[in-house]
Parts: sequence; C-alpha cells; structure tokens
Amino acid sequence: MSKIFVLPVLLTFLVGFGSACSNPQVTSKSFTTKDATIVSHIGFISEITVKCTTGVLSSLYAELEDGSIIPVAVVAPETFQVSWIEESKSARSGQRLIRIFDEEGYTALRKAIRNNEPTGSVPEFFSVYVHHSGAYNGPWVKSEFIAVVLSILVSQFALTTKSKIVS
Amino acid sequence: MSKSSSKGGFTKEEELLLQDFSRNVSTKSSALFYGNAFIVSAVPIWLFWRIHMMDIYSSLILFIGVTAASTYLLAMAYRNTKFTLKHKIAIKREEAVTRDLLKKLSDDKKMSKKEKDERILWQKNEVADFEATTYSIFHNNALFLTIVILASFYFLRSLTPAVNYTLSIGTASGLLALLSTGSN
Repeated sequence: MSKIFVLPVLLTFLVGFGSACSNPQVTSKSFTTKDATIVSHIGFISEITVKCTTGVLSSLYAELEDGSIIPVAVVAPETFQVSWIEESKSARSGQRLIRIFDEEGYTALRKAIRNNEPTGSVPEFFSVYVHHSGAYNGPWVKSEFIAVVLSILVSQFALTTKSKIVS
Repeated sequence: MSKSSSKGGFTKEEELLLQDFSRNVSTKSSALFYGNAFIVSAVPIWLFWRIHMMDIYSSLILFIGVTAASTYLLAMAYRNTKFTLKHKIAIKREEAVTRDLLKKLSDDKKMSKKEKDERILWQKNEVADFEATTYSIFHNNALFLTIVILASFYFLRSLTPAVNYTLSIGTASGLLALLSTGSN
C-alpha cells in the first residue's frame, strides 16, 4: 500500500526537479549604496523573481560586467538574489547589465571560457539591469578647509593692518 | 608746580603722557581683555567636543585647566599688543584729534592754551586706547583661531583628541603671548 503511494510522489518530484524552466517571467528590483561617506565599497543587490510556466529553477549563475561569474542565491521560492561590491572610487553610476544563466547555460559558459572563446556568444537565460545612481562621497570641499581659508584671510587682514599701524 | 599737580608730583599733562606710554591697563580694559580671552579660549571646547568627539565630562578638568592657562596667556598677548600699538596709533591720530578738538573748542575763549592742550592730550589718549584695545583683541583672536584650526585639523590630527586639544590651544596662546612681547 505504502509503495503504491510513494512511487507517484517520487516520480512527480523527479520530473518536476529535472524539467527546465520554460517561458520565464522575470521581474527584478535592485538596491545600491547611496551614501559612501563612511564606506569604501558600494554594495549592489538585485532581487529577481522568476515565474516559470512549467518546470522549476534549481540554481542560477550571474555574469557581471567585469566578466566574473558568481552564483545567484535562492532567498525564497522563485526569488533569487545576486549581490556584489565595487570600490566606491571606481564604481561608476548608470546601468549595469547582469546576464543570468541556468545550469545548462553555465555549462556552456564554462566551456567557452575553457576554450578561450568570447562568453558573449553564449546565450543567457535572461538578463537584468541594475541601476546605480551614484553615491554621495561627502562635500567637494571639506568644511575645515573652508574654515582654515577664511581664518587665514582674516588673519592676513589683521597682520597687514598691524604692519600699517606700526610702520 | 602748576595747579593741576597730583600727589605724586606730576602735572596732569605728565600723567597723561605717562599713561600714553604705560604698560598698565585700566580695570575696565583688564576686564575686557580677560572676558574676551576667556570666551575665545573656551570656544574651541565646542570644536573638540562635537567635532573631535571628546567626552565633555571626562575631559572637564583638562578643559578647565587649558582654558584657564589660555585665558591668562591671551590676556597677556592682548595687553602687550595694545601697549605696542597704542603709542603708534596716538601719533597717527594726533593731527586729526587736535583739529577736531580745536574746532570744537574754538568758541570757548575762556579756556587757556594749556587746558586746551591737556584736553587734546586726553582725547588723543582716549582714542588711541580705544583703538589699540579693540585692534589688539581682533588681531590676537584672529591669529589664535587660525592657529587652533590649522593645528587641530591638519598638523596634530593624528594625535588623540586630548593631546591635540592641549597642544593646539597651548601652542596658539603660547605663541601669541610670546610674539606679543616683540616690539613690532
């Protein structure tokens, strides 16, 4: 009796797990560090929700603009997260294209890298954009510098006046 | 001796002349100097408390000690600068004061020339005293704050706030007191 019950469940699980995601509907939202006054790196996070018509996604990989490939974290069913950091000095503002690969695409990508072929030719599963509007690095001129300049000007005036009186 | 001779045997004119060259300051002037010196010495406490993040309660003794020493040194600098400038200002203003006062006193026929001269001398002394006092305060305050800001934010920024505070305030007030002893 129990064998008859377990078998269909196992089959369903295997079929579901193994089948590739078809016709994915992708939505993404992103976050990047806005204030870099006390941090040295800018954090980039993109949360991606993928809804498949059939099949499920087990694991995803992301290729960043610099060519590095990082695994995408699964944070909830159908929800993935890709995150990385860049040095605040070199992190430019604007759009960043993130190419996402499934297991199959990742294998093709690895193969292309192994064969020294351009990875751009490997079709991605889907791609998302992460927008970085730029981070605030503090004022252009530090307030103490302004204070020093102003006080030097006043002192200069005081000294010249004194030399005029004394002369 | 003239009618206006005082207990010390000096005439009023001589006293005024002595006052012109005197290093002594009146109580009013002294109070002004010490009051100003205290305010200017205490202002950097805010800088070190809010910007350099010194704890105001644990550093209270240091703040009081350094402010007191700085007040004394700054007041000394004010006094010395005033002394250096007063006579020079008196010479520069002499002509204008004399002209102004003679115009005012031209109607008064009863006043003797000696009295008029005394009035002019007194007025000149007053003008020079006031100008030298205010200028001395301005000059020393400007230099003090410049040295404090420069030292605390640039030269001594790597030191701990307490050392930074003591050295920057000590250097600024000490340097001004020392420089004020010069003749120019």
